[in-house]
Amino acid sequence: MDEEYDAIVLGTGLKECIISGMLSVSGKKVLHVDRNKYYGGESASICPLEELFSKFGVPPPDESYGRGRDWNVDLIPKFLMANGSLVKLLIHTGVTRYLEFKSVEGSYVYKAGKISKVPVDQKEALASDLMGMFEKRRFRNFLIYVQDFNQQDPKSWKDFDPNTQNMQALYDKFGLDRNTQDFTGHALALHRDDDYLNRSAIETIDRIKLYSDSLARYGKSPYLYPMYGLGELPQGFARLSAIYGGTYMLDKPIDEIVLGEGGRVVGVRSGDEMAKCKQVYCDPTYVPDKVRKTAKVVRCVCLLDHPVANTKDALSTQIIIPQKQVGRSSDIYVSLVSYTHQVAAKGWFIAMVSTTVETDNPEAEIKPGLDLLGTIRQKFVSVSDYFEPNEDGVQSQIFVSQSYDATTHFETTCLDVLDIFKRGTGEEFDFSKIKHELGDEEQ
Amino acid sequence: MSTRTGAAQRPNGSTQGKICQFKLVLLGESAVGKSSLVLRFVKGQFHEYQESTIGAAFLTQTVCLDDTTVKFEIWDTAGQERYHSLAPMYYRGAQAAIVVYDITNQDTFGRAKTWVKELQRQASPTIVIALAGNKQDLANKRMVEYEEAQTYADENGLLFIETSAKTAMNVNDIFLAIVDELDENVEVPGPNSNKLSKFSLLNKTVGVLSKALFAKIVFPISINRKDSIISCDPSL
Repeated sequence: MDEEYDAIVLGTGLKECIISGMLSVSGKKVLHVDRNKYYGGESASICPLEELFSKFGVPPPDESYGRGRDWNVDLIPKFLMANGSLVKLLIHTGVTRYLEFKSVEGSYVYKAGKISKVPVDQKEALASDLMGMFEKRRFRNFLIYVQDFNQQDPKSWKDFDPNTQNMQALYDKFGLDRNTQDFTGHALALHRDDDYLNRSAIETIDRIKLYSDSLARYGKSPYLYPMYGLGELPQGFARLSAIYGGTYMLDKPIDEIVLGEGGRVVGVRSGDEMAKCKQVYCDPTYVPDKVRKTAKVVRCVCLLDHPVANTKDALSTQIIIPQKQVGRSSDIYVSLVSYTHQVAAKGWFIAMVSTTVETDNPEAEIKPGLDLLGTIRQKFVSVSDYFEPNEDGVQSQIFVSQSYDATTHFETTCLDVLDIFKRGTGEEFDFSKIKHELGDEEQ
Repeated sequence: MSTRTGAAQRPNGSTQGKICQFKLVLLGESAVGKSSLVLRFVKGQFHEYQESTIGAAFLTQTVCLDDTTVKFEIWDTAGQERYHSLAPMYYRGAQAAIVVYDITNQDTFGRAKTWVKELQRQASPTIVIALAGNKQDLANKRMVEYEEAQTYADENGLLFIETSAKTAMNVNDIFLAIVDELDENVEVPGPNSNKLSKFSLLNKTVGVLSKALFAKIVFPISINRKDSIISCDPSL
């Protein structure tokens, strides 16, 4: 450990592993350390099942749960948007070669006490009870407008100025009713609350396009999920970093981040070992005095021995409960994965219900989500603080990531990573630095 | 020990027979010659090879044996073994492993035994493990006796062979022995329509593809079929 590095990365959560990979690829000498014995930090998938039970102080699982080693349970639920930033990062860095994905089977939205499938093709759209005939026609015109919209080409804006008019104005232009607005904003644009209505329409148009482009990749839903759980993602990026020369040490407690002149970081101390460095990149847990708590997220892992009702026995799905439907200001998300993803023993399902905390009784807030699941064999509730760094890190050269938020996908995760990389290196990440050929990888 | 490279030099491209893909992981102390063995195997004797991509991400090599075509996906440790920081992903789904030691260094043999234990704990119970005593060309400096290693291998159900990446001795043989063994106990993976291959995400034409598909399957919500979104997309 007693060496000098360009950068030391603390924590092996997904964000830190992507950053580590990008730094190594850019030619930096990187030391990557985790205080835990395992990769992934908060974004690890817990294996075996016994460990999950003991983590939450619950008596060990009985034999009905099958082999404990067949389980890999995520603590933070997310899916990848098939055409989103994380998939782009995975492809450009070649990390896809270590992973296998399955397409999530469908997406549902909660309306008036029951769930309806988000239509993915014409047949489903015609049969859908989400809106009436005339509303469907208006909605279709809206979607054609969104599809043809090009920010660079004012002709495609028609009689609408996206620079001065907000999203509410665009809905009004097409005469969409409140239910359709709810559906569009929350199930397609994946906004967590209704603040977007007052912001530029371009943001929402881009989000709907991302949803459509992602859906277009595999057809069943816009989401992908990795075999063996989300914990595979940080491991994949860690391997990328190692291949480009990054040094890995797990199970290494960090006792001090050592500062020098002007409060700039000069190294990291573990016991009586000291590694020198010019920069530190870390998650909030390594620098509690440099972050502030801005929100709380409640997440509940539910183990089920049956699929969720009214989802056509889907082995994976997402259900969005738009805030207004249940009198809240942020959405409740339900995501379901199962044995088919090698994250549970045969016949088992893992549902995760999550939302941003709004009251002092977080568990009661997710009840509408839990109620959709039927009999829950075991549930584990956790409330996590959401931390943001106090400063941009340029002065101290300590760059701190934000906690993982309640969004259902990795778009904000990637934005944070790219922003940290830019602050740390003064430049955008240059994907051309990765010299891999795609040609011989195709089957 | 005679080499059997002839068996592997059968012309590729036969349309009958099985095609299998296997993940093979390398383990062993630093500097025992893990990467050299693979480079010798992949870039050396075989008629058809393709080197994949960056550094030691992984190399692929196709071997034809009798009526079976085997594609090896060979993973190197990328140095993550140094501080015991190999990720579970490394062992995940591996059908075969080569644990390498240096016959001129007793410590590396001890470490090899530790890796075998680690594989027995972490990897699939059906994994085929081969023990390779490398640097056979330096047999005059030998510190690990052939019989000692053979006995250990027999007791633990491992394939065993001494190799030299330098002279190529037995390098192909160890891979062929693994193919033979895999042939016996591994089911040929069948097509799985639901599973997206890791390679499918690498489709280079995806931008164009998604544009084309967008018009066909995304939100073609229309009251009348003639009037679908397809006709509204000027790019088609």
